[in-house]
Amino acid sequence: MIKLQDVSYVRLGTRDLEGAGEFATDYLGLEVSERGRGSLYFKSDEREHTLCYFEGDPADQVVAFEIGSRGELDQAAAELERLGHAVHRGTAEEAEQRKVRDFIGFNDPTGNRIELVWRPAHSGQRYHGTRDAGITGFSHVGLCSTDLARDEAFWTRVCNARVSDRIGDAPLLRIDEVHHTIAMFPSKKPGIQHINHQVESGDDVMRSFHFLNERQVHMVFGPGRHPTSSARFLYFEGPDGMVFEYSSGVRSIADELLYRERQFPMDPKGFCKWGAKPDIKEFQ
Amino acid sequence: MSGEIPGDRIAIEQLRYVRLGTPDLATAVDFAQRVLGLQMIDKTDEMVSFRSDERDYTLVYWRGEPTEQAVGFEVRDMATLERAAERLAAHGFKATLGTAEDAARRKARSLLSFDDASGNRFELVVRPLNSGWRYFPSRDAGIKGLEAVALRSTSVARDEALWTEVFNGEVRDWVGDAAYIGFDAVHHRLALHPARKAGILAIEYAVEDVDLLMQNSYFLRSAQVKCVDGPGRRPTSGQLFLTFVGPDGMLFSFVAEGDKIAAGTGRRPRQFAKTRKSFCAWGSDCEVPEFL
Repeated sequence: MIKLQDVSYVRLGTRDLEGAGEFATDYLGLEVSERGRGSLYFKSDEREHTLCYFEGDPADQVVAFEIGSRGELDQAAAELERLGHAVHRGTAEEAEQRKVRDFIGFNDPTGNRIELVWRPAHSGQRYHGTRDAGITGFSHVGLCSTDLARDEAFWTRVCNARVSDRIGDAPLLRIDEVHHTIAMFPSKKPGIQHINHQVESGDDVMRSFHFLNERQVHMVFGPGRHPTSSARFLYFEGPDGMVFEYSSGVRSIADELLYRERQFPMDPKGFCKWGAKPDIKEFQ
Repeated sequence: MSGEIPGDRIAIEQLRYVRLGTPDLATAVDFAQRVLGLQMIDKTDEMVSFRSDERDYTLVYWRGEPTEQAVGFEVRDMATLERAAERLAAHGFKATLGTAEDAARRKARSLLSFDDASGNRFELVVRPLNSGWRYFPSRDAGIKGLEAVALRSTSVARDEALWTEVFNGEVRDWVGDAAYIGFDAVHHRLALHPARKAGILAIEYAVEDVDLLMQNSYFLRSAQVKCVDGPGRRPTSGQLFLTFVGPDGMLFSFVAEGDKIAAGTGRRPRQFAKTRKSFCAWGSDCEVPEFL
């Protein structure tokens, strides 16, 4: 079994690196940690980077998970190859670009590009956002799925994820005590469905709602509160149509033995207990 | 105001009710039940009362002019009421003892009414009725009770002194000249906002928590009720708030959370700047001139 320790970073291609950089700093509130040639790295917490925009195709999207040891990384590569996934061994140069010691890349059954990384770089300097969005860190991703049952089986049997709750057939998956680190949503094609950053409090969610609304950022869902994870949330659109989420107060599942996943309806009530209605096609 | 008046300040037991005149009783009843979510208690051709908590009622609409408004406070007993009349007179306020019929109409044993310097009408009542039956609202707005009243004041310093010198109120914070006055552990029960004319600015009901506040926010939006302030958080009291327009242009608010003020901690009132940021820590939109 592939033991995912944490979600590490997201890499997103863009045709407008400058525009994406402005959004990530001025609106989202991240901090530029490095300007590479044709790429921009952003910090959101104690890690060296958690988001990278690079010049390229916006359909080129990657999400990375941390693996505990090089031995486990090798085992994961072997297991994935045995299951018929084409595994790419990262080169030293590619690892350098990702600020990790070693990594492998593969596609999940839907075709989402996944990287498993070993020893991602932490930073000696703490995160200090461009604006006071109250971000405490990059926390989870929503992934598109063309077959929810098949993909749930991949993440829970080949990898160590557990189902925390389901909205319709869409599973919210945890790899540690945080309610979900991967959320799967029905779609016709692969891709990252949303990128979540946690903020300090519900107040920060509301402050950002007004801040972004004033600047005509397209709000797609919320402010609201998830009945599943109990987190207060706000979803809005960033460059190339990517959806970003702020949330606060996500439930922690401490008791693995006693916790049972729950079934929620695939309708607005399954997504928000305050009455907000999503303008996100994967949530409908 | 004279500081030489002998005796203790008059203790306010509770903020008790608000009475509002309206030319259109039917609209007011619909609003109070369907939008606010209060429980109708008594209904005659002339007046309707509504329950929000363990008290018999906290809101009354009666057939009259919208400018005819009163805020009711409870005092402990008849002796306190009599002392209040003397103390008000000594401070230059004309207080009128209500008839037995007036008191009965308010479901209280005794009644004393007076106006502040701005012309806002207040009533003091003794032994107002509580309900043996719990509050059971028409919709689940999560209301916990009448929390506070915001008033327009043409003379804030004098109106503030009424509550702190005749009565046992304490200024808890100021925003510019606006004063938040408390009598108990809740940050404020009265807010006095400078304005060109007197009158009640907003009637505030507490709801259980942030979930109820936000659920109400979406409910009001879907019911096409005009929201004029919030949802937001007050930097002064720490309360979450949402303010919307009711019948005759009267504002109502739902509030939740908020700092509790323990007695004897030596807390001092704070002065906040007269800017929008002192009214909302979230940056919400506001259409109420007094809160800008």
